[in-house]
Amino acid sequence: MDSREDDGGEPLSRMAEWRDVTPLPQDDGPNPVVPIAYKEEFRETMDYFRAIYKADERSPRALRLTRRAIHLNPGNYTVWHFRRLVLEALNADLDEELDFLQRIANSNSKNYQLWHHRRWVVERLGANARAKELNLIKKILSIDAKNYHAWSHRQWVLQALGGWEDELDYCQQLLEEDIFNNSAWNQRYFVVTRSPYLGGLKAMRASEVRYTVEAILANPNNECPWRYLQGLYKDDIKALVNDPEISSVCLKVINTKNNYVFALKMLLDLLCHGFQPCHEFRDSVVALRTSDTDPLGPDLSMAICDILEHVDSLRASYWIWRKNKLSVAAV
Amino acid sequence: MATREWNPLDFDIGEEEDEEGTPSPSSISPPLQYFDRDRHVAFLEMMYNLMPHHYQSQEINRLTLAFFTISGLHLLRALDRVDKDRVADWVLSFQAHPRSRAELKIGQFYGFHGSRTSQFPPDENGVSARNAGHLASTYCALAILKTVGFNLLTIDKESILISLRNLQQPDGSFMPVDVGAETDLRFVYCAAAICFMLEDWSGMDREKAKEYILKCQSYDGGFGLMPGLESHGGGTYCAVASLRLMGYIEDDLLSKTVTSSIINVPLLLDWCMQRQAIDGGFQGRANKPSDTCYAFWIGAVLRILGGYKFIDKIALHRFLLTCQSEFGGFSKYPRDLPDIYHAYYGYTAFSLLEEPGLNPLCAELGMTDLTAIGII
Repeated sequence: MDSREDDGGEPLSRMAEWRDVTPLPQDDGPNPVVPIAYKEEFRETMDYFRAIYKADERSPRALRLTRRAIHLNPGNYTVWHFRRLVLEALNADLDEELDFLQRIANSNSKNYQLWHHRRWVVERLGANARAKELNLIKKILSIDAKNYHAWSHRQWVLQALGGWEDELDYCQQLLEEDIFNNSAWNQRYFVVTRSPYLGGLKAMRASEVRYTVEAILANPNNECPWRYLQGLYKDDIKALVNDPEISSVCLKVINTKNNYVFALKMLLDLLCHGFQPCHEFRDSVVALRTSDTDPLGPDLSMAICDILEHVDSLRASYWIWRKNKLSVAAV
Repeated sequence: MATREWNPLDFDIGEEEDEEGTPSPSSISPPLQYFDRDRHVAFLEMMYNLMPHHYQSQEINRLTLAFFTISGLHLLRALDRVDKDRVADWVLSFQAHPRSRAELKIGQFYGFHGSRTSQFPPDENGVSARNAGHLASTYCALAILKTVGFNLLTIDKESILISLRNLQQPDGSFMPVDVGAETDLRFVYCAAAICFMLEDWSGMDREKAKEYILKCQSYDGGFGLMPGLESHGGGTYCAVASLRLMGYIEDDLLSKTVTSSIINVPLLLDWCMQRQAIDGGFQGRANKPSDTCYAFWIGAVLRILGGYKFIDKIALHRFLLTCQSEFGGFSKYPRDLPDIYHAYYGYTAFSLLEEPGLNPLCAELGMTDLTAIGII
């Protein structure tokens, strides 16, 4: 965004409109620590801001001044707060305010104050603003699909104003674009567990498991669907262990002898929670043994830790520790 | 240079955006093969004396910038480069004071101002007019004061603690300023660190804060910044460090034989372990690139849990060196330009790695372990 979009960026001291205002310089004290080498435009704008803020002048020119100050200093919560006071005093058009915010977001959407301010505006506009909000967020996510601020705002809009009907489809679309996008997986979980239209996690579990298993088989080295799968059984680990779909996807991936680290991890978790494997599981795991692994012991969980120690060597110490915990538990 | 905020807890959830006038990364030499302490001291000394103009958009976080600089020098065992009395006086000049005790109950927060934007010379009664204390600035102010050896028990902690309660929300989370702002785990952490440093928990309802934190643990074991949000290294740090400071979890949980805890520790540990990426660095979220600062955010969580020993330290060391700048400091990504935020978290990361010549780190406070070096 360009501060010049309104007033040509002319120094305030040369503008007739500001002639009656005496700028209030920053008093940094006698021995400032980490002083900042402000540029002249910054210094001047903030000096005028201080004067207007101290005088509590809630006027159209004060609104324009906050725009300048926000451009230079977007994290300054005092400026944003004062802008809200002025907007209220002037009974300003809040749709215009949304447009202003969108222009800032286009150049820098990673700013907490911006999103808080937007939320303040939307709260005042109510449900009418819903479609515009959801679309705006879509636009931002189409540029950066993992923008944390945008996701946070989206979850707030859904909870405060609704709009859940299309959200699962939207997650689906984002995952089709990038199945490795964990933000989209997280949003899927948010929708499945919280949407008033879907009946909750238990009602959705079977179809979600099918979807996730497919995603796993397409990319077994993608952490997200494995985590999601476990999430579908949050607080119900027994059901996870007893669902044949889960053990079976582990086995399928292990049998490909490729990208099987997450499958082994999941199988290990199942075993730790009481899963009783048939011979096929043991045979498949044994078949993964490479020349540098020691002969595998009789315990399947320990054998898995042994293999992970070698194939996931970045975490070798972790797998050794997990293995030791198994033997402690066995005693 | 980034235009985002640099609260210590802003975890850098954005990409950097270059402004005019910064040299292009392609002009930067290959990384050094060792931690160049002297260069880092020079980098921080420069910041201490004058920060370049592109930090002006961080002006609202002056105390945070000062915290990175002074606490950074302390980690590098170079605190002799600063005038401690001058620093303490300067920090204390940001404290907001109420006109009367009664004012503490009317909703305002009397902590430390983030900057001079809304701080005006006191009026004829010696009282500053507009108050704009901020939780992150207050945390940074107290941390700096502790670092320079100032006795925190001599400040007006009553004002901070009584008015701190005004910022806690019904759901247990905290707002950072009394004029309204987003509430999330970052400010629960600030509140917990403030109470911990002031050795007085009257400033917050710990039970409520705990309930909020527990709601933020995601299905994958990590913590999002708010309930429902994606697991994130910074959010996870705030959650675990707060629980530790508040006394809800023990230090070195993993070595304890008792396995029950108020959070799902095995899943959390597994999530943290998975954040070390193939290049040796730590990512803040699944399938995101490694970034210097998460070597601290995730590393500190692992340290608190007792799982730091499981990571591949050699690989992490190698990654961090690719982010070390020839100008001193660290960058977010390899072979990029340094900034004070990533510099600081680079130093904390090297302290966790027990780099010789660095002070040990107090993981849950994100600063030098003053007890370990015998200051308190």
